[in-house]
Amino acid sequence: MIFTILRKDLRLYFSDKKGILVTFLLPIIMITLFAFAFGGVGKKKSPPKPLKVLVVDKDATTASQELIAKLNSIKTIQLITSEEEKAVDLVRKGKNIAALIFEKGFSDAVAADTDLPIELKYDAARDFQMRIIHSVLKEGFKYHLGKVDVINNIKLKTTSLIKESSTKAHPGLVQAVGGTAIMMLLFSIAAIGGGLLDEKEAGTLKRLLIAPVKPLYILLAKMGTAMVVSILQLSAMFVFAWLAFGLPIFMDVFSLILLILCISFAVSSFGVFLVSTVKTRQQLQGMSTIIIILMSAIGGSMIPINMMPAFMQKIAIISVNYWGIEGFFDIFWRQLPLIAMLPKMGILLAIGLGMTLVSTVLFKKNIIAIE
Amino acid sequence: MIQVQNLSKSFQNIQAVNDISFTIKKGEIFGLLGPNGAGKSTTLNMMSTILKSDAGTIHIDGKNSRENSKECKHLIGVVPQEISLYEDLSAYQNLLFWGDLYGIPSKILKERIHTTLELIGLLDRKKDLIKTYSGGMKRRINIAAALLHHPKILFMDEPTVGIDPQSRNHIFEVIETLNKQGMTIVYTTHYMEEVERLCDRIAIIDSGKIIAQGTQSQLKELVQTKESIQFEFNFLSESNVDQLRELLPYTVAQNENKLLVETTVQELSKVITTCNELQLSIKDIQLNKVNLEAIFLNLTGKQLRD
Ligand SMILES: Nc1ncnc2c1ncn2[C@@H]1O[C@H](COP(=O)(O)OP(=O)(O)O)[C@@H](O)[C@H]1O
Ligand SMILES: [Mg+2]
Repeated sequence: MIFTILRKDLRLYFSDKKGILVTFLLPIIMITLFAFAFGGVGKKKSPPKPLKVLVVDKDATTASQELIAKLNSIKTIQLITSEEEKAVDLVRKGKNIAALIFEKGFSDAVAADTDLPIELKYDAARDFQMRIIHSVLKEGFKYHLGKVDVINNIKLKTTSLIKESSTKAHPGLVQAVGGTAIMMLLFSIAAIGGGLLDEKEAGTLKRLLIAPVKPLYILLAKMGTAMVVSILQLSAMFVFAWLAFGLPIFMDVFSLILLILCISFAVSSFGVFLVSTVKTRQQLQGMSTIIIILMSAIGGSMIPINMMPAFMQKIAIISVNYWGIEGFFDIFWRQLPLIAMLPKMGILLAIGLGMTLVSTVLFKKNIIAIE
Repeated sequence: MIQVQNLSKSFQNIQAVNDISFTIKKGEIFGLLGPNGAGKSTTLNMMSTILKSDAGTIHIDGKNSRENSKECKHLIGVVPQEISLYEDLSAYQNLLFWGDLYGIPSKILKERIHTTLELIGLLDRKKDLIKTYSGGMKRRINIAAALLHHPKILFMDEPTVGIDPQSRNHIFEVIETLNKQGMTIVYTTHYMEEVERLCDRIAIIDSGKIIAQGTQSQLKELVQTKESIQFEFNFLSESNVDQLRELLPYTVAQNENKLLVETTVQELSKVITTCNELQLSIKDIQLNKVNLEAIFLNLTGKQLRD
């Protein structure tokens, strides 16, 4: 029964060419604009800042300290002293690119001309920066240690702390695609939900109620339609971002699919929620535009969350946009494992479930009442 | 087949339906006649189980419509007053959808759509979108959509509003065919010609109340006015009038050259013979039949339509 109504809704949806343009073409244009605006596209031309490298001196001798001071005078890198445990943790969390560790016995090894106990622990996800650091450090060792015998013994041992991955997406691109896709999605979903009000005005809702169909099914079918369109729209946006801007969507495609499903559910329930709070299409038009723009603004669809003042960042959590965009950052930028993303997905599902429940109550009161 | 007892419904401060009762027999066409705003649609909405009544009961085929709404929904087909179809789908897609909601197996449904489209005469246009249809064609599909689950009872709410006489006739023929096949039909309208043509029994509703009900002849007996014939002569002298009054005792009124005679059509020849004997030349004859319009006027003091 739900499926019959859902199929009809989809058929109606796709018979409307204007609707399809708004669902797919407009978001693509917006994403492209934002992608250029946020600098996710083309060459990055920001002046090179020194690459920060954590340094842990477990040898703590004059030899090691002198060498650290000398290496720090190299412009390309900036050494920050740290404890081993803390340094490893910072690299693991993606806060720093690498940690250079001088093991005990470093000065003895220099004196004895044996292999130097130095290790570079790094984040393989930042392959590009890592290569610079590695070569700069090697040159630095050669230059500052000076002795030919020693140079032969410099075998900078490198250990990756974070799983190897092809490339990390540019945060500007993630912001442009994720932020815009969710905002545009909200608009198409509000329009789909509005279909219920159109049906009320056209009288087809009355015929649906005359038929042996549970009113709840009418609502759920509309939500199902919204979900199908959401999934299609979000998928299309990410495929577009992959084709046009090289967003690595296959890096963690399973998490991406799960996240798209969770966002679609939350957004669809938001759509039916919006509709069930109003009585006419005009009311919906006015209200949904305001709510969507507000929610998108505070939720980080327009301005990246991390560019907002702290109190705004706190408010942001009330919006669907925030959780969705953060989810995309987890996948493409922080590259978290799925398990670490589950809480965010859970919140999206909870938002969806809550709104669905509220909608079912309001729907009975506002929409299906014939009087 | 249907018993409506002491049904009432009000919206905010409007008493739309006010304590009405009527019974509809199996196989009849029952007319609910009343002006706009009389409460016809409200009554049908309650009978269709989509509107809760404030008071009263409705039994459909012996089942209480509120307690057994699901069973009742399968028994009835409803043609809403508005054209309730998806304009952007074809007639065929619409019918497929509406039929599907009643759980009719696909193969049977397709056969039924075919025969129903044939019945309403739109088989050749089935692939066209509803929005390309004329008003009359939309009305016919609106009816077809209510027939697919083969209901025993059909509720039709002003199914001919705003269409051309040809489409209207076509719809009448469809209704008569369905009725001959045994379908019980409840027909609401504000056109008295429609109930006169179609309905076995009629309830006249006004301001939420049923003011009269019965067969057409029963209703006609309710009013005192008789059929009358109005004659217009080229010339009528005072003496002519006196002579006529003598010969025709049921002459009721005279106005210049016009004369109103209260009689039945059967006695028309007798009146004409009398006129000939008096050598009066008749300019015009007008027959005033007693109709439901007149009954409505008589009972409410209002015209059925403005
Ligand atoms: N949903 C509603 N809300 C308020 N008043 C209504 C509603 N539906 C009908 N009415 C009022 O109830 C009365 C009867 O309406 P209705 O049953 O539609 O009449 P009819 O079908 O005979 O033209 C009218 O006065 C109408 O204005
Ligand atoms: Mg009506």
